Amino acid sequence: MVELFRSVINIISAIAIPMFILVFLGWGLVKKVKVYEVFVEGAKDGFNTAVKIIPYLVAMLFAIGIFRASGAMDVVVAILSPVTNLIGMPAETLPLALLRPLSGSGSMGLMTELMKTNGPDSFIGVLASTMYGSSETTFYILAVYFGSVGIKNTRHALPAGLIADLFGMLGAVFIVRILFGV
Amino acid sequence: MLNYVWISLLLIGIFTAVGRDIHDEVTNPYRNGVPITAHFETTQQPTSLHPIYKGTIVISAATFDQFYNVTSATDIRQSATITTLASGQLKIELPMGDETPQFWKEMAKAAGGKDKLEGTVSSFITETGALNFTLERVSFVKIKAVTKAAIEYADVAVTISLGLIGVMALWLGIMKVGEAAGLLELLTKALLPITKRLFPDVPPNHPAVGMMIMNVAANMLGLNNAATPLGLKAMEELNKINPKIGTATNAMCTFLVINTAGLTLIPATAIAIRAGLGSADPGIIIGTSIFGAGCATVAGLIAVKVLQRLPGYKKALEPDEAEVKNG
Repeated sequence: MVELFRSVINIISAIAIPMFILVFLGWGLVKKVKVYEVFVEGAKDGFNTAVKIIPYLVAMLFAIGIFRASGAMDVVVAILSPVTNLIGMPAETLPLALLRPLSGSGSMGLMTELMKTNGPDSFIGVLASTMYGSSETTFYILAVYFGSVGIKNTRHALPAGLIADLFGMLGAVFIVRILFGV
Repeated sequence: MLNYVWISLLLIGIFTAVGRDIHDEVTNPYRNGVPITAHFETTQQPTSLHPIYKGTIVISAATFDQFYNVTSATDIRQSATITTLASGQLKIELPMGDETPQFWKEMAKAAGGKDKLEGTVSSFITETGALNFTLERVSFVKIKAVTKAAIEYADVAVTISLGLIGVMALWLGIMKVGEAAGLLELLTKALLPITKRLFPDVPPNHPAVGMMIMNVAANMLGLNNAATPLGLKAMEELNKINPKIGTATNAMCTFLVINTAGLTLIPATAIAIRAGLGSADPGIIIGTSIFGAGCATVAGLIAVKVLQRLPGYKKALEPDEAEVKNG
């Protein structure tokens, strides 16, 4: 069942982009849109959008870089580990949960390391990869999405995003404990 | 809130780095200025042309561990060269290699990212090989790391942003055609029952809705290259109906939370890494990840809808008094 679901999704993912292109441009042709001219007209905004993001992303990433390089994460882990031990979350996976919203490449490295030391099919290995798959890099998305339209006052987006991250991590611990628990 | 989180990351980072380095100065874990005793096995005697000794430093695991307060499995055998300087002083150089203990590698990195450690020899008896040497000072490790990270990450940010140009242009072009052909309108109408509840402030036929649907679809399928450009286009459309430029609207925050929760049908990166590490069933995390990200999405949506009613966040959306007067 899972296998079937997986292969169906894999096929859809593989053909999705060519299909998007075909359907969109083909439909344009049917509707007598001047496809080439309209495409180029839209595409010329690509550069501006990318450049607009730079200051926001620099601000976000250099702060995250300083935080990570300082080793402050160890201190936060030491403070939080008694709490997470209570809910049955292994101490090894706490740094991953904390890093997940901050850094995509950093949390990917941590996940890989946890699976290397504990084995990918161990409880910690499954939990680590589930945690990685249960959320996105909130701070990066915030900087890029809001940066592209010059939003400086992000209002409740960050707290809501972090609440989502928290529940993503808790959900991962809950389901992996039930299905693969020790 | 972003203001406080941002400044906290910076302050906590810098203060922790300073604190750890002061701690290191006091406890001296790198044994700055303290000589270590070793045995030197000479493999190449100095000649008149090359006045250097080449050979191997041997330190027993017990001695090394006691000296640096670490635990190592085997005795240390580290190749080294001893050079006589013009002043008559002996200089020792340890090139970092496979046989180098981890602790020395870290020290070499902290000393300035070099691939060798240098030191001065306090006594060397050539006949017996008895050697006493002091390695170079290693200090302010974390402060240096923080400085390096600040500059490196600023660079990474530019690389990432500029790397988006190509895919941005591609997807913006395709979307423009879809818009002109009325395809997005069809999509928008089909999903209206869901979108009008999620984004009540956005007019039902607005192009932003179609873009957001496309972005969520791309995310679900794990098409990251397409999802970001589509998401940014959706943001641009949402910004056109923003009454207060520079401040996020309710719809923008809702859309952002859907993205940060990261619901995807196939967590492709995690599966690929699991497969690479020899997992018996790499895809076993599909179900658990959908559950986890589903929790994140539901919690995020509830949070965003509750938080947008808080007076402080509500007030931020109202136009400034100055703008009202001018407008």
